[in-house]
Amino acid sequence: MKPPRFDYARPDSLAGAIALLAAHNGDAKVIAGGQSLMPMLNFRLTSPRLLVDIARIADLNHISAGADGVRLGALVRWRDIERHPTLAKLHPLLVEATSHVAHYQIRNRGTVGGSLAHADPAAEMPGIAIACDAQIIVVGRAGQRTIPAADFFVGALMTALEPDEVIVEVRLPPWPGERHFAFEEFSRRKGDFALAGVAVFYDLDGQGRVIDPHIGAIGVTSRPVRLNAAEAALAGRAVDEAAILAVAALADDGLDVAEDIHAPADYRRALLQVLLERALRRAARLPDAEQTQ
Amino acid sequence: MNEMTMPGRQIGRSLPRLEARDKVTGRTEYVHNLRLPGMLYGKIFRSTVAHGRIRNIDVTAARAHAGVAHVITGEDVRKVIPRPFYGPAFHDQPVLALDKVHYVGEPVAVVLASDPYVADEAVQLISAEYDELPAVFDEVEAMSSQAVVHDELKPAGTFPDLKHLQGRRNTNVALDFHLRRGDVDKAFATADRVFEHTFRTQQVLHLPLEPFVSVAEPTGSGITIHTASQSPSFVRIEIARLLGWPENRVRVKVPYLGGGFGAKLYIKLEAMVTALALLVQRPVKVALTMEEQFYTLTKHASTFRIKSAVNKDGRITARHCEVWWNGGAYADIGPRITQKSGFTAPGPYDIDNVSIDSYSLYTNLPPAGALRGFGIPQLVWAYESHADMIARELALDPVEFRRRNILREGRPQATGTLMRDAAIEAVLERLAERLDWNKSFDRGSGTVRRGRGLGIGFKASISPTTSIAIVNVAADGSATLYCSTVDMGQGSDTANAQVVAEVLDVAAESVRIVHPDTDVTPYDMATLGSRSMFHMGNAVRLAAQDAKAKLAALAAELGLPPGSNIPLPELFRRKYGMQAGNVIGIGSYVPTYESPNHDTGQTSNATPYWMIGGTAVEIEVDTETGHVRIIRIINVVDAGKPINPKIVEDQISGAAVMQLGFTMQEKMLFEGGQVTNASLADYKIPSILDIPPMISEAVDAQQHDGPFGAKGVGESGTFALSPAIANAIEDAVGVRVTELPITAEAVYRALRTAANDPLEDA
Repeated sequence: MKPPRFDYARPDSLAGAIALLAAHNGDAKVIAGGQSLMPMLNFRLTSPRLLVDIARIADLNHISAGADGVRLGALVRWRDIERHPTLAKLHPLLVEATSHVAHYQIRNRGTVGGSLAHADPAAEMPGIAIACDAQIIVVGRAGQRTIPAADFFVGALMTALEPDEVIVEVRLPPWPGERHFAFEEFSRRKGDFALAGVAVFYDLDGQGRVIDPHIGAIGVTSRPVRLNAAEAALAGRAVDEAAILAVAALADDGLDVAEDIHAPADYRRALLQVLLERALRRAARLPDAEQTQ
Repeated sequence: MNEMTMPGRQIGRSLPRLEARDKVTGRTEYVHNLRLPGMLYGKIFRSTVAHGRIRNIDVTAARAHAGVAHVITGEDVRKVIPRPFYGPAFHDQPVLALDKVHYVGEPVAVVLASDPYVADEAVQLISAEYDELPAVFDEVEAMSSQAVVHDELKPAGTFPDLKHLQGRRNTNVALDFHLRRGDVDKAFATADRVFEHTFRTQQVLHLPLEPFVSVAEPTGSGITIHTASQSPSFVRIEIARLLGWPENRVRVKVPYLGGGFGAKLYIKLEAMVTALALLVQRPVKVALTMEEQFYTLTKHASTFRIKSAVNKDGRITARHCEVWWNGGAYADIGPRITQKSGFTAPGPYDIDNVSIDSYSLYTNLPPAGALRGFGIPQLVWAYESHADMIARELALDPVEFRRRNILREGRPQATGTLMRDAAIEAVLERLAERLDWNKSFDRGSGTVRRGRGLGIGFKASISPTTSIAIVNVAADGSATLYCSTVDMGQGSDTANAQVVAEVLDVAAESVRIVHPDTDVTPYDMATLGSRSMFHMGNAVRLAAQDAKAKLAALAAELGLPPGSNIPLPELFRRKYGMQAGNVIGIGSYVPTYESPNHDTGQTSNATPYWMIGGTAVEIEVDTETGHVRIIRIINVVDAGKPINPKIVEDQISGAAVMQLGFTMQEKMLFEGGQVTNASLADYKIPSILDIPPMISEAVDAQQHDGPFGAKGVGESGTFALSPAIANAIEDAVGVRVTELPITAEAVYRALRTAANDPLEDA
């Protein structure tokens, strides 16, 4: 199939884009890399009257780092993150998660802002935003606002964005050099959306006990989530095998795990638990699974 | 002269495909690119119920939609085709639904417009009402279900073993095939051990990247059909039958295909575009979307209950096979699969006492037909899984167990036909050697366990079928081959050119191939079942030899000594006084065959040749996720003596990759008969990143009556891959999967069950 008929505009300024979106009152969509929107158009799952291409808008493809953390412009592509000279040091969790995004062709075109706005429950970037307490900067007719990731993802493919708003930047809080972290996901084929995925990071106090653990999960519920029970169980503990098993056993605690044609809920829960075990082991730099068999 | 241009020695050359450059530079002709003046595009409105009587089809709004030329229903079709039912085995399939619908996705109406998107919009405006009827989806349930898919069976009359089904009512059995050899009951009664297992395969589909497409063009005197078909000659005959016309008023043209795999056989869209074009007297094109392929033709889901009597030294003394094939709503070629593949159900083993009951069933699912292997992969899945399970129970090495039972050259197969040119042992031994079977193997530890496994399978060729070829030598000595074999990516143009070139002693690159055009190229049964290299290859060889003999006769007529090496242009000049004339060689080939006895399935000549395919794998199982990583695949086949070794290797590996998808990932999912994953986003075929390291090779072999010793190879790589993987998984982690596909979830579930800790929702 080909997309239904639509108009196309490529404004040079953010103000121009916002004006177009506002004028169409929900009947226009922003297009950047087009890696989610184009398939939806071709399958005719959506039929906006206007596509507003933001590719020509200046200053949306910056990657910068400072005392307040890492800032990624909405037009930053996965390939930009992979190739960036210092990002692997500045935010290694982001870089590791990005390596799981789809295939080369998609990584060459897909954007950070597009992934956040599309809000697929199994996508990596929304999961990183949730796990890291990212701030999402959006601009609309009413001006700029900053939306915490926790408030941004409302449901499957649903966000807090207003129809006239454009994501301009995502801010990830500062990343200390000594931080423990890991990202794990499981998909049916290489590059497919995750059946389940886990992002973990924490710091250690002077006694080797976990401070402020963050555990995010993708693919298991209608939106990326924090695993609150597992985080609470991990906080204040030294990370040994016993702690890992105890924490991972709480992985799906309180979650309404989703089922779809690719996997039933029980298998997703099992995957979530084992991925969390693996992520915790890797974050703690412990050896792989115990010789249990 | 380099090797590329040197004439002679054309057999055994890995000549690059003749069409490769045109394909990669976008010059190749496909039906999808064809546009004719005044052409209308048809878009199909499909049934939303699995089984129902049509109460009403409301096309008013669609007809009124701006830009719509016509809306056509089944009743309209009768104006040009009074009895609009087609099919190779049964005349059961209507051009558009009449009275009843039999599956979700069945074509009910067509909108015609000069813009395909307008037609598509109008399709959304059609509505239909049905009185729903009970539906049946499972092949075993269909044996005894109250839901009956067709009111009355209508065999086509083509196949003698279907005639007795004429007019039969209240049954879903479209064919029951039986074979009896020896005394099975007695052997089971006296056996040391009896093993019985049941295996299932899922419904999958071909998914050629070029979806189905046909164009029909009314001419003053007849009709021309441009179609992506594997069987142009069949299309001509069947369309002529439907129209009540002589064959010569129907012209069928086929350019290259973007894959076929058995989907594009017999009638698919051809009857529909013919009816539409004749009704509106304009050219009509129907090009399906990827999604619509899910509603068109699929591979049989199957259930196979296999039972073996084995004595204590590991010899199989009897085997009973019961196979149920889920044929979907229309029989297509399913009854042939039930019989042709059915008789190999006991596997390539030497068993004195055999019984087979094989049933073709109608259900309310999208129709099933031939798919690369013609039922063989479903059978090998069962008998080679069963083989390892028996060996394991008897504490025998799986290779040694096979050696003790293998069907050797000269021994009778279950039909009584003696095996000839069937390198079954050589394939088994080569697999074991390539796998280093006798050497120690790192079995992994902790949560990553390794295993290895193998399987062997065999297939009889379809028979008896005809191929005819024409070789035309022009006055300058250049040669052109006219044949109706369809090159759908398998490399038949190149291989046939090599056969012509070998006989005429010219370079294969210089031979021109004329593609199927039934006004021009002679009859060929179809491009299917790995039959072309043997059947058409023989016809092409005979045609080239005929041309060569006629050239020799011409030389003799002109008084030249026998064996004269006079250049061909000079020969023609001497005959005709200028560059003029041509020499036409004709080759016709049909192998011998003896129909099996209806009650016992016995025959002295079941097949012109046997195809042998085996696969061995090493795999790694992640016991915490069920993920199976395939470390390497080894495919070994008997293809006779390869005409083009590189193309043979590609055919083997391509078949194995296709079967890898059917083994690990692919499955059509249904809800009330509705496919729920009808897209390449949700239905997971292997991508380039999912293909493991692979070795594909043919053993040193010779088919005594094949063209230069060759035989078919398109399917052999599919036979044994699935059980090889399941056997390796049991070897690695001790769990047995008996149903395809072997997803990570299925393996994980089996591991949890084996650990007495089953996943809760199961």
